[in-house]
Amino acid sequence: MLKVKDLCVSFGGVRALQNVSFEVQQHEVLGLVGPNGAGKTTSFNVLSGIVKPTAGEVTYNGHDILKSSMHQRVTHGIGRTFQIPQPMHELTVRENLIVSQRFGRPDGKVKHQRIDEILKSVNLLHKAESDAATGLALTERKALEVAKALATEPTLLMLDEVLAGLETTSKKQFMETLKEIRKQYSLSMIVIEHDIETIMKLCDRVVVFNFGKVIADGDPEETFRNPEVVRSYTGEVHA
Amino acid sequence: MNIKVFLLALAFMYLGVPLLLGDNNYLIGMIASALIVAGIAVAWALLGNLGGMVSFGHAAFFGVGAYTSAILTMDYGVPVFVALVLGGIGASLSSIFMMPALRLRGPYFALAILAYAEIFKILATEATGLTGGGGGLLSIPSLPVFAGIDFGTKLGGYIVILNIVTLMVITYFFIRRSSYGLALKAMHDSELATRIVGVPATYLKIVMLVVSAFMTGAVGAFNAHYINFLEPDYAFSGTWTVFPIVAAIFGGYRTLSGPVIGALFIYLIDQLVFKNLLPQGHQLILGVMLTGMIVLSPSGLLPIITNLFTRTRGKQHA
Amino acid sequence: MELTAQAIFTGVLMGGFYGLVAVGLSLVFGTMKVINLAHGELVLLAAYIAYAVESQTGINPLLALPIAMVIVVGVSLLTFYLTNGIAKDKELNSLILTFGLGIVLTNGLLMVFSADIYSTQTAWFMEGVVVADTLFSMRGEIVAFVVGICALGALYWWLNHTWHGRAIRSVSSNREAAKLMGMNPTKAELWSWGVAGVLATLAGVMLYVISVIHPPIGHGLTIKAFIITVLAGMGSIPGVLIGALMIGVIEGLTTTFFQSSLAGLSSMTLFLLVLLIMPSGLFGKKAGH
Repeated sequence: MLKVKDLCVSFGGVRALQNVSFEVQQHEVLGLVGPNGAGKTTSFNVLSGIVKPTAGEVTYNGHDILKSSMHQRVTHGIGRTFQIPQPMHELTVRENLIVSQRFGRPDGKVKHQRIDEILKSVNLLHKAESDAATGLALTERKALEVAKALATEPTLLMLDEVLAGLETTSKKQFMETLKEIRKQYSLSMIVIEHDIETIMKLCDRVVVFNFGKVIADGDPEETFRNPEVVRSYTGEVHA
Repeated sequence: MNIKVFLLALAFMYLGVPLLLGDNNYLIGMIASALIVAGIAVAWALLGNLGGMVSFGHAAFFGVGAYTSAILTMDYGVPVFVALVLGGIGASLSSIFMMPALRLRGPYFALAILAYAEIFKILATEATGLTGGGGGLLSIPSLPVFAGIDFGTKLGGYIVILNIVTLMVITYFFIRRSSYGLALKAMHDSELATRIVGVPATYLKIVMLVVSAFMTGAVGAFNAHYINFLEPDYAFSGTWTVFPIVAAIFGGYRTLSGPVIGALFIYLIDQLVFKNLLPQGHQLILGVMLTGMIVLSPSGLLPIITNLFTRTRGKQHA
Repeated sequence: MELTAQAIFTGVLMGGFYGLVAVGLSLVFGTMKVINLAHGELVLLAAYIAYAVESQTGINPLLALPIAMVIVVGVSLLTFYLTNGIAKDKELNSLILTFGLGIVLTNGLLMVFSADIYSTQTAWFMEGVVVADTLFSMRGEIVAFVVGICALGALYWWLNHTWHGRAIRSVSSNREAAKLMGMNPTKAELWSWGVAGVLATLAGVMLYVISVIHPPIGHGLTIKAFIITVLAGMGSIPGVLIGALMIGVIEGLTTTFFQSSLAGLSSMTLFLLVLLIMPSGLFGKKAGH
């Protein structure tokens, strides 16, 4: 359903992405892995419309989405989270979801039942009336980040390190939540994660980035046996 | 604002003021003028609070609304009450020219709007065929008799402008409560967060600009029929920008009632007190007040007062 | 042809003066990112002091410069302290604050000097001068032009060759980096406001010798100064000069070939076009968006 072809991005001479191509099938969970600065988040930024590519094509369900603005892509069904949570300031958690529903859904309807359901699925129901910017702990902020994206009712959800920085127990819980969400809303997902174990458990397929290029694409287990992939990873550890 | 206080204030304005001052044309006229300022102040605050845009050019909307309504009634025989609405629409249309400025950040937007206002003023002066130029338009029709009530009197005008301002405040209330209002509120400090869930940020700002222009234009139109005279220097005067800003800042532009209370207070104290103390240059005190407010409490005087109240009440309970 | 040459000549002379009016605003805007909406009123204040000195003592208004400078620099520094104290949303609140100060100054002048129109009584400034056989101007305009160009040149030299000037430049290009290098940005800002006050004084006294003054014109001067600042782009003194010359010439041509009331329209339109198409100004870096 999502096709990325020959995507290139440069920032003032630095080539952040070079001929990046990958696809996401319906109901598939794709993992993007690779060292920091390899181009994973930049790919998200291109897909969500924050960064304009210098070349390449992106189609979603056959539509060229590069021409669409940021908010149009959301109504087309592409939702995302940020590594650093971006709550809407001055609003409560519930209001965050109301705005997401109102503007994220193509028909602009707000379904309060759906909002409760989403809040429940990410364990935020008890915090619904808290201030989103100041009243949440880290895990809850991450949960809100996911809930906001879910409230736009995406068909493709892009998660940027939602598990990073969480301690082991909440990480496990959160992972279960993500699996359930995926089933419940029959989502396709793209996931950026550093933790290989998480990737193995969550993803159907992985794409490995290094220096702005895709160096491997395939089944997680096989891919992580690929020596080049291993090198890029161990390289990062020692760097 | 508390709904009970709002209704009480409304009852006072609709019943108390006419009963107490109904025969005093001078004072009723003065309060009506204060409400004109209040109307612009509400429109200005709507753009500032919800849209996040400080405008130094609301005089342009005021002037366009005034001329649209005056010309439509004089040259095309449009009924005055219809023309008031059309005046608002005219101002909204004029705001379309300002939309490119929405791409600009805070202070640049503020000053671009100021430039637009200057351009409108010059155009109104030069388009003599339409506006009568510097000579002005005389004998603009008064507000008519409607349902047996003569709105052309001072008291009738007062009731009309009170209706307009009340409608504006109610509209503002509902916009603020709507999902548009929520999204706009969130856009101040977290624009990316709102855009990434599908909020069309620029579109919402455009809507606020159009609504604010409409409100200001309708008030300008009312004023034209209330005083029956227009000239460009008056209709596009900087006064229509200065007073509302001082009023909104003074009363607290982030609140619903702030601009209205601020306008009533500022305008009346200026006309009844300062003007007598200092026949020339009495606006000096307004400037001092504006400067003082920004230095001491940029969110207005009302929050300070409410704070004092809640604090003392809190102490009593403790 | 002769008409065009005369229009351009007058425009260039006015441009030199406009540059002097604008450069103080531009300087403060560069260092502190504050648009001083009372800048034109400061200029006008200096002009009124020149008038007061001239009318009381009968001496040449240029001799009023020292006293005007003390007062205007004082007011400029006071404005700095007030804007510096703004804690929240400085960019917009400082705009409203200086807008308020502009109202105070305009009305203060109105109270003290009434709404009457004044111009210099020193006839020397109003005598006609013929340049290159055909081009006519008043002596005052030549003086204002020369003072403007010299002041801009001196400022340019000062910013590039003195310690304080360099401090101001580094604070305007990168406040945080300047801080890390051990500079005190507040001190640099204080200096820029002080210098802006000096420049406003010069501009004000020049205003008095070439034109008529009355209280409401301060606002128009602020707008003109801001337009030139936007045309110039942030922190570019040559840009200020070129922007000012452009405005002067465009106004001169509009006045000659259409009418003087449209001069404001043409400069305002140019301003909007530049702001919308090239938000970084004609000669500057980043701004606008």
